Amino acid sequence: MSETITYLKQQVRKNIQTYAIILAMIVIWILFSFLTEGRYIGAQNISNLFRQMVITSFLAIGMVLVMVTGNIDLSVGKLAGFVSVVVAQFQANIWFHYIPNRELLTTVFSVLIGIAVGTIFEVLQGYLISYLHIPAFIVTLGGQWALNGGIMIITEGKTIPANQPLFSVIAQGYLSPNIGWVFAGVVILFMVFSTLQGRRNKIKYGFKPLPMLIEVLRLIALAALIVIYVAIVNNYNGVQIPVMLLAITAVIMSYVSTNTPVGRYAYAIGGNREAARLSGVNISKNVFNIFVLMGLMSGISGVVLASYVGYGTIAAGQGYELDAIASTVLGGTSTLGGIGTIFGAIIGSLIIASLTSGLQMMNVPAAWQYVLKGIVLVVAVYADVYLKKNR
Amino acid sequence: MSNDFILDIRNVTKRFPGVVALDDVSIKIKRGEIHGICGENGAGKSTLMMILKGVHPWGSYEGQIFYDDHELKLEDRSIRQASEEGIAIVYQELTLVPNMTVGENVFLGREPRTKTGINWNKLYSDTQKILDKYHLDIDANALVKNLGVGKMQMTEIAKALSENAKILILDEPTSALSEEEIVHLMEILKTLKSHGVTCIYITHKLSELFRITDTVTVLRDGRVITTQPIDKLTEDALISHMVGRKIKERFPKGNRKPGKEILRVEDLRAVDPDDNSREVIKGASFNLREGEILGIAGLMGSGRTELVSTLFGEYGRITSGKIYLDDQEVKIDSANHSMRLGISLVPEDRKKYGLVLIQDIQKNISLANLDKFSKWFKIDFNAEIKKTSEFAEKLEIKAPNLFVACQTLSGGNQQKVVIAKWLMSEPRVLIMDDPTRGIDVGAKYEIYKLMNDLAENGIAIIMISSELEEVIGMSDRIMVMSAGKSRGILEPKDFDQEKIMAMATGY
Repeated sequence: MSETITYLKQQVRKNIQTYAIILAMIVIWILFSFLTEGRYIGAQNISNLFRQMVITSFLAIGMVLVMVTGNIDLSVGKLAGFVSVVVAQFQANIWFHYIPNRELLTTVFSVLIGIAVGTIFEVLQGYLISYLHIPAFIVTLGGQWALNGGIMIITEGKTIPANQPLFSVIAQGYLSPNIGWVFAGVVILFMVFSTLQGRRNKIKYGFKPLPMLIEVLRLIALAALIVIYVAIVNNYNGVQIPVMLLAITAVIMSYVSTNTPVGRYAYAIGGNREAARLSGVNISKNVFNIFVLMGLMSGISGVVLASYVGYGTIAAGQGYELDAIASTVLGGTSTLGGIGTIFGAIIGSLIIASLTSGLQMMNVPAAWQYVLKGIVLVVAVYADVYLKKNR
Repeated sequence: MSNDFILDIRNVTKRFPGVVALDDVSIKIKRGEIHGICGENGAGKSTLMMILKGVHPWGSYEGQIFYDDHELKLEDRSIRQASEEGIAIVYQELTLVPNMTVGENVFLGREPRTKTGINWNKLYSDTQKILDKYHLDIDANALVKNLGVGKMQMTEIAKALSENAKILILDEPTSALSEEEIVHLMEILKTLKSHGVTCIYITHKLSELFRITDTVTVLRDGRVITTQPIDKLTEDALISHMVGRKIKERFPKGNRKPGKEILRVEDLRAVDPDDNSREVIKGASFNLREGEILGIAGLMGSGRTELVSTLFGEYGRITSGKIYLDDQEVKIDSANHSMRLGISLVPEDRKKYGLVLIQDIQKNISLANLDKFSKWFKIDFNAEIKKTSEFAEKLEIKAPNLFVACQTLSGGNQQKVVIAKWLMSEPRVLIMDDPTRGIDVGAKYEIYKLMNDLAENGIAIIMISSELEEVIGMSDRIMVMSAGKSRGILEPKDFDQEKIMAMATGY
């Protein structure tokens, strides 16, 4: 038992930043719940809140890794926007001519094309940044402008609809309550299985696994969160499909960042580029890889965006890159590189969505929403600096 | 209290969570003397400096410090207050702005003003006055980035003196200096002394204590072991005070038996990769045998670091000459390639080139060797921990566990982490660029022993060193370099400090 407590204390100290930001989020929720007389915490709002954060969250996931390598990507907002208008263009004007009435096929093609466009654009930018050594800030600023132009060319200033029912499911669909519960069950089983697998591996190598009590507590806590979440959203329409996609992507990318050489090298490059280089890490190749992943995320984000709003417009993706950067920074990613987690970025993104949603419910004018969000961002980062200094 | 002492540290105890960094430390420092402080890493020297600098403010430690007859009460993080009191510190890592001139750096933050801006004329003439007064041979208008390390340090000293420092604290001032520059620094310190400036001289290098100090205090494990006039001490006595045990010899004798040739370099020439007109290696030839330690001696800027990093595939562009590994010609184009051929480099300046300081020991050790634990793009954490802890144990890295950030380790342990990283890559040729710079006697000894072990197991070692005693003590043969050229290889019978210096300074 004492072992358990020491372990918990250690974990708290080690991840104090993560806990602090989760705490901040809970405080925000409680505050808005009071201010809106409970409407904020209602099933409908919670459901919408999580849905609203999805598009920037995809970008934030990619941005964490980009920033961990010590780079930045200012083009991703417009890239998602560009992807969304390309997809809308295909949906509205192209499939109709070549493969009419094949909704499943056209939806699959739209998704693939969207992801490909995002990835190819970042392949290009990644090449310029990592192999030609042009600073990422400049390349991606140029990229942002070019994409903005691209959006204008494709839309010709008009709104392009992208609202075929099947395509709309990607961002607007819900799992029926029963399937939602099945999904939750599968996730929980997977967690139990991977925990047991992890313990077995440790024992195989002759290490002492964590006390069973801790593992059980951890599993129960996570399972409880999932069950509560599903119960809440089932009260409204069910588990949101885009949120499910985001969760799966986040888990995969989180795995990539911690359990693969690609991720490990990214952190090493951001932590000390020279040391990584002299350790035989191919800096150019690895930075390039990270930008390609960013492109993949931007592609997914753009497809979800098109499906979410149901059309492609000239303003698509405007300013999303900054929301994504703010999310990562709120989530503890260092602007200097070497530090940051995907989980943190998701929480950061959720905080921003929570603020926006709360302020909207309280009918705060848009102008003041910006002012307040700006203040929260800066204060939150100061709190982080302060915590680090006085740990 | 007597006015003979400018600084009187009385019973100072400083605790950190779980550690007592300074334990009832009392030191009296006489006005106008050069007071050496030595001790192994972790002995408490830096904590003491942090207190004198105000990083650990008054009230965060027990005990009292009297300075010039009043109690020194520095407020939190008020470094300016320390300098206003007349306490100045010249850091081990220089803290100058490279793109500013000497004058601008000297007066940084305290620029003389006119009504509307900075009084540049006064700034430069005041700087020049200080430089003249203390015989510091630098141009006040020179850009700091164009100066050598020695002159940068002089600038730093000038900066301290411009604040009317009464006590100048020098923290490992010679760790980056060549022999010539050290001689020059000693001259400067003597000049300072004649002007009545008190110096506290912190160093690992015992020979310097004998060269320059009047009194020496030895710290160990946060306690003062002894304070004595230097002429009452011997080098052996100092070492046993520092390590708390007798070290019979500073350089352990190995039982090395050099075998067949493994590496041969013939008349290598290379240019700076960023500036093809600048030739950095102007003809280097040597060979290296299995199980041998080849020392490379030479002054800073003699091309020694450039030579080894070119061999490692990470610096110079080779214009002519050949490298043979096992009699096969090789063209090494990257660190990765070099590692695959079995050549590893422990780079100079571990903080800058060796470690990702914010990451833990385990990640640092495994960084160069991830492919050993990775299958299908997945790192096997258990295998990684197992292998890294094996190496950490073998090298006796002292840390609570493998998951503490490298920035919290002492210099010696940091260096061991870098070495562990490279040993894990199973090299046949291990190049070590100044492996013991800035680490304490005990840790040095351990690294020497390790080098012997490795060589006895057939690994060929190239060791660059700035300390002649070390090169002579550890090498089977010594190659001397100067001005980018190898000047010849000495056999043990010719190992002689003066001979090496003569070759290293001859152009």
